[in-house]
Amino acid sequence: MSYFEGRRRWRSRKAKNERTPSERGTSMAAAMRGLVILMFGILIIQLINLQVIKGDQYREQAAINALREIPIPANRGLVYDRNGTLLVQNTARFSATIIPGDLPEGDEATAYRMISSAIGLPASEIEARVAEGIEIQGEFNPTVIKGDLDREVALTLIELEPHVPGLSVQVEPSRNYLTGDLLSHILGYIGPISAEEYERLADEGYLYQDFLGKSGVELTYEDVLRGKAGKKLVEVDAAGRELRVISERRPIDGTNLVLTIDLDLQAAVREILAEYSTDSDNAAAAVIDVKTGELLSMVSLPTYDGNFFSGPISEDALAELIESPGKPLVNHAISDRYAPGSTFKTIVGSAALQEGIASTSTTIVSRGYINVENEFDPNVVYVYRDWAPLGVLDFYDGIAMSSNVYFYYLAGGFADEGFRGLGADKVAEYARAFGLGSVTGIDIAGESDGLVPDPDWKQETIGDTWTIGDTYNFGIGQGYLATTPIQMLRAITAIANGGTLVTPHVVAEYMDSLGNTLEALATVTSTVPVDAANLQIVGQGMRQSVTSGVARNASVSAVTVAGKTGTAEFGAARDDGTYETHGWFVGYAPAEDPEIAVVVFLQRGSGGSDASPAAARILDYYFSGGGPTYSPGDTIPVPDPSPVDVLDATAAPGANEAPATNAPEPTATPAEEPASSPEPEPTAPPTAPPTEAPVSPPTDVPTEPPQETSPPAAALPDERRPNRGLP
Amino acid sequence: MRNFDVVLILLAVALVAYGGLLLYSASLSAYPTITMDHPLTKQMIFALLGVGGMIVVAWVDYRVYGQMAIGLYALAVVMLAAVLFVGESAYGSTRWFSFAGQQIQASEVAKLLVIIALARYLADRQRQMADPRVFVISLAMAALPAALVLIEPDMGTAAVFGAIWLGMVAMAGAPPRFLVIALGIALATIPFMAMLTLGDYQIDRFRLWIDPASDPLGGGFNIRQAEIGIGSGGVFGQGLTEGTQTQLDFLQTSTTDYIFSVLGEELGLIGALVLFALFTALLFRGIRAATLSQDQFGSLIATGVVIMILFQVFINVAVNIRLVPVTGIPLPFISQGGSSLVMMFLSLGLLEGILIRHKRLEF
Repeated sequence: MSYFEGRRRWRSRKAKNERTPSERGTSMAAAMRGLVILMFGILIIQLINLQVIKGDQYREQAAINALREIPIPANRGLVYDRNGTLLVQNTARFSATIIPGDLPEGDEATAYRMISSAIGLPASEIEARVAEGIEIQGEFNPTVIKGDLDREVALTLIELEPHVPGLSVQVEPSRNYLTGDLLSHILGYIGPISAEEYERLADEGYLYQDFLGKSGVELTYEDVLRGKAGKKLVEVDAAGRELRVISERRPIDGTNLVLTIDLDLQAAVREILAEYSTDSDNAAAAVIDVKTGELLSMVSLPTYDGNFFSGPISEDALAELIESPGKPLVNHAISDRYAPGSTFKTIVGSAALQEGIASTSTTIVSRGYINVENEFDPNVVYVYRDWAPLGVLDFYDGIAMSSNVYFYYLAGGFADEGFRGLGADKVAEYARAFGLGSVTGIDIAGESDGLVPDPDWKQETIGDTWTIGDTYNFGIGQGYLATTPIQMLRAITAIANGGTLVTPHVVAEYMDSLGNTLEALATVTSTVPVDAANLQIVGQGMRQSVTSGVARNASVSAVTVAGKTGTAEFGAARDDGTYETHGWFVGYAPAEDPEIAVVVFLQRGSGGSDASPAAARILDYYFSGGGPTYSPGDTIPVPDPSPVDVLDATAAPGANEAPATNAPEPTATPAEEPASSPEPEPTAPPTAPPTEAPVSPPTDVPTEPPQETSPPAAALPDERRPNRGLP
Repeated sequence: MRNFDVVLILLAVALVAYGGLLLYSASLSAYPTITMDHPLTKQMIFALLGVGGMIVVAWVDYRVYGQMAIGLYALAVVMLAAVLFVGESAYGSTRWFSFAGQQIQASEVAKLLVIIALARYLADRQRQMADPRVFVISLAMAALPAALVLIEPDMGTAAVFGAIWLGMVAMAGAPPRFLVIALGIALATIPFMAMLTLGDYQIDRFRLWIDPASDPLGGGFNIRQAEIGIGSGGVFGQGLTEGTQTQLDFLQTSTTDYIFSVLGEELGLIGALVLFALFTALLFRGIRAATLSQDQFGSLIATGVVIMILFQVFINVAVNIRLVPVTGIPLPFISQGGSSLVMMFLSLGLLEGILIRHKRLEF
């Protein structure tokens, strides 16, 4: 039954039917066989093209089809206060994401339109976000087009998912700050990773849809809190359903933090500060453990609620937060800098003792002012005022009464009497040694350096020569000097603890989920170059200030307090020639064996009559271990000082009468208050620190910077004269 | 019966068995165990039916079919016309009758009936093949059913009618110039025909063939997934039941029109070559029947059957590997589907009938 057999038989029939197209049949059969081979040949060529030549490429696509790598986010670490109270919870929030590569090609517009109507974002904006996502991380990673979806919107979108390829609703971890606005400046908040952050952090495993700490502890301890995201490789079917997990790496949850903050104390400090800062745009207060540098409380007012950043953020509300005069987002305790005023005298005093400029018995007479003749024209005399003619003062009195004249001598000397002072360079050196002019290293981001001026700095920055007047201003914490409240607190802590400069911090230890301490954070310290004995003398002056000096309002029955007030002028002169003042108090207690130190800063107020009683309330709360001893009306009514032009430079003697120091007008004088109650606080000329506050310009910046090319002082407007000093 | 071509039958059975493997693998996600409802069970039952039918068809002298040719042709046209009104639709096309609980695809039956009618007409006029009238009438005989399936719409089957006619008139001895002219006219009128007869449905398919990415999750989805599946199979394939495209349902209609993609993905180029070898052998046996036929009628029937199978295989595979636009044509003996499988076996029955009677007359 072979083919040839068949053909022979066919031929044998030829005689019977000569028209049978046998030859033709054979050739047709050959043609058909050829056709079969040709057609299968075409198929085979295409198959080789697909399977052999492009096989690898298709294999890859098949794998991409069927496998999905899904990140498993780690739980962010929790945060507790020092007593173990939970401060932050993890919650969830929904966001709409698009995988650009899965969008229907050529018909993206329809997809954008459908999503747009569901989430209420213009299609053009969705398109722009997708384009940005593609540029940053390619087509096949999900790009967030809108975060913080309301739950209902999220559910609507989830229903839309099957109809819009590429759309998916992601559930993201979020933070619930249980203490509302009480700890916002310490805890900070988290937010979506920005394009710049992603570029910087992509190597550390951050994904474009990740959230990370944006401020406060959330930012500083991001690496610790974050944990390590896990991931799983899953096989999905054509509908995107997970069929099986091929491999999985469990996430490692973030480490928990224990703060040094005492929540009860924090609440009390905040309440007290709010009470005394009603006139202020902002205010700050902090309580520190003088031995360890642990901050027991740190309050900056006004504040904000960290949960604001956890929910849908309204643009208007955000703008209000940023633009409001008090700058709620700024931590005024660490990020804004102000003239420290007389609180700085503690450092000048320490320096003078250490350098042998002064001793406990150095006696200086304050007649209420000192005159300095112009170097070139003896007829031109500049007058530098004290806040009152305080008479004969020893070192303790100088601090206790906060005599400006006393510290003019210590800082700048007084040539007429042959008294040699520290000089500007020494004052600057000690200011820096006490930690001013550089960050304290607190474990919260956004700290300001502050500014410690010196002659070289003035020459370089202002382009003018340093004068004796500059040194005088410097000596009483005015002029160019600018510090943050936390810097002053740290400096005072060194006086309290005998010379150790601690690093203030808010995180005490790392803790695992079972409450075991993983790592207690060591306190970083250095020492100030002042003998403990000298610091003790300064401390005694501060104690005297509280018992019988200008800081009497800071006294507390429960504990012995040592302290120093400051009332620093700022801004432009008011119509009556006076200035607005910052109110400061720095101090510690118990005076004999210091435990904690306190700083109170009020953007508008007086050191003696506002900051001191506020500090007293805080110390009393701490040492009485309970509710406030004083009710708001109970403060010792030391009258608010009207700021005086202490450094009133006069072009010629008698040509200009310095305004008389306004007599204090006590609104009520308690019986125990001596009739000779001193004026609460001297004031000093307005300051003009160069502005470089980190988040927003400080509110206390004068409208005009110092003028380096001014004509003689007499021709200057009043508010500028003090900065001139001697030409 | 010793002239019965056992090799032809064995090849067909081998193809059905091969198809059964693929059917099993492609159905695995939907039918984890084999039951009476399993597509494989049904397919085997249809195969047995087909073999039975084949024996009956072979037993009857094929010239009897020639005498009934006019009736068979009328039946084909009526079926194709009727299906447009009472047929059932699937995938945008109306092709099926429901009969005794089974769906019967009218065009599958019609193809074989038209082959018989054309063979009779051309065999009767083998001396007048140079007459243009014969050529044109035979063309009209094929064009009528082709037009009817085009309305369903089913471009692929219409093309198969065209191929069958061309192969048969060539075999019957039509002058080559007629063939050239016919082909020329066909090619020249394709654009106009396309504009006149193609619905949005076909135009869409054409667009997707050119660029499947224009609708990755819609109509372009399967074109792309089939291509990925076949390509990922490489030379040796992913292994039976191991292809992710098939098993994870990325591939649609993987038991019918796209069963070749299952083969390509899981058994690779080698698997495809085995399939092509089986078909080539089967078709060569068919061509042999055409040459051995005692008369022109049998020879023409065998030619029609060979061309029919060849074109269906070609178009089906070409769709799978994106050589031609999507058109729903089953892969003979392999694709799931009773009508196709039974009709294929009946076609082989015709070939066997031709061979048997050739031998019997000889001795």
